[in-house]
Amino acid sequence: MPTARVRRIEPEEVAAVLTAFINTSIMARGHPLQPDDDLELAGLDSMALLKVLLFIEAEFGFWIPDEDLVQETVRSPRTLALYICRRRRQA
Amino acid sequence: MPGRRLPLRGADLVLIAMHSLCKGRDVSSNTLLVVECDGPIAPERIRRALDRLLDFCPWPAARLRRPFPWGRLHWAAGPRAALVPPPVRHRSVASREELHAELESELSSVIDPRRDPPLRFLIVDCGPEPARGHGVLVLTWFHPLMDPRGGQNLLRHLARFDQEENQATPRGAPWAFTPQPDPRPLRERGRLARQSVHYMRTLTAVAPVSPGTGLISPGRARFRQESFVERDPQAAGSRAMREICWRLALVGRAMAELWERRGLPDVPFLVPIAVDLRPKGDPGPTFGNVLAFHFARFKPSETANVAALASALRRQMADAVRDGQIEANSVAMEFLQYRPLSMMLRDLPGTSERETFSFNCADVMDFPAVLGSAFGRRIVNAYHAPAVLPRPGIGVFFNRCATRSNLVVSWIEGAAAEDEVGRIVEVVREGMGWTRIP
Repeated sequence: MPTARVRRIEPEEVAAVLTAFINTSIMARGHPLQPDDDLELAGLDSMALLKVLLFIEAEFGFWIPDEDLVQETVRSPRTLALYICRRRRQA
Repeated sequence: MPGRRLPLRGADLVLIAMHSLCKGRDVSSNTLLVVECDGPIAPERIRRALDRLLDFCPWPAARLRRPFPWGRLHWAAGPRAALVPPPVRHRSVASREELHAELESELSSVIDPRRDPPLRFLIVDCGPEPARGHGVLVLTWFHPLMDPRGGQNLLRHLARFDQEENQATPRGAPWAFTPQPDPRPLRERGRLARQSVHYMRTLTAVAPVSPGTGLISPGRARFRQESFVERDPQAAGSRAMREICWRLALVGRAMAELWERRGLPDVPFLVPIAVDLRPKGDPGPTFGNVLAFHFARFKPSETANVAALASALRRQMADAVRDGQIEANSVAMEFLQYRPLSMMLRDLPGTSERETFSFNCADVMDFPAVLGSAFGRRIVNAYHAPAVLPRPGIGVFFNRCATRSNLVVSWIEGAAAEDEVGRIVEVVREGMGWTRIP
């Protein structure tokens, strides 16, 4: 079971997990992303974003609904992390 | 250096196999990359850069070969001394209409890759004499040589050679011009390929219908391009509108209108959606095909609510990724190189009716920001315009260059009419909330 599901986690930690996933699964070697980098500017296309959403579903246990797929949420690993932590607090 | 070979892979082979559905006709498989600059471009600079490129990469001068009818199709290039750079032609036009006629002529003038170079350049000086206002660089290639991102990469390499004209070797890391082979064992790849074939057979129960259905004598390849700006890129919902699922849903609505006007049946659309397999942040390979495909399915009658359809298409795509179908497709496409062309289309739905897809739709994404200028000129706009096959006969393509959103509708004369294309552009423009750039 993913550890993220069984304990309280901080946005910083979530951002690190997301950044690590993106860097290993989506970005080219030698072109690492930082937690505050803009995902769109980094070249993440629709399919890459979908992979991130699927990772969030697998790791944090929920699917981000369409209405929340706004720039403020999906701009960077950190904005996604803030959203994830907010959702988990509400749950 | 001995002769070199680059086997064709994936979607390139499928495209060539699809030509067999249009037997006896000269069908264009050209793709254009049109680059508008703030002044005329010197053809000599392109010629010199191309010549330099051939020192490192032979494929712009290659020819398509197959040793035997059952042999693997491949690009073949001789030793460096035997390589002739592709042609760079130069024209002048006085109006936008003349320019568009030149571009459509480029799109329609068939490249025979067995005899001709697989790509060519056209430089157009635009504007009334004597002061030519701006320049347009047109890269035309036989689509199975490279995908759209590959075309951009080629331009990037040429621009760099132009900049570093006096350097003996290019600076920075060595370039990988072609994709690396899949390192996974044959057994594992075989399993994935079989999984994909099985999946393909379940995609649709009935053959799709397209605007090209029943077209007896297809005409020229045509296209219409318009540029727009987003009214407010930061507005709520604008991020979702940049996703392919939203754009496909919107194009679907425009097509559904066309279907209704023509009285075409409400059978599900089948639309191939290209997935660029290149890791992000790096240009990646130039030549060869680095795409896998997802197959979107939805009915014309489901397009009334674009937001709901976009959501359904996203779920469909998520399921395909979750089930490993995109990965399996990329492997299956690789395996096609071991199959005779005549057998290649067996697993595509509808090919027995000579029908493959309902229409084409793709988002080529952003023109690389590093190509803000090239060959001594500032790049003002750039877009892709691929020819579509007589069936489906029409395709809608999105691409962005800096703040400009470009929409290209490409069609085959006879499959669609200009007013129908104009209506498609309008439906998409309205749905995207775009403002037209004159």
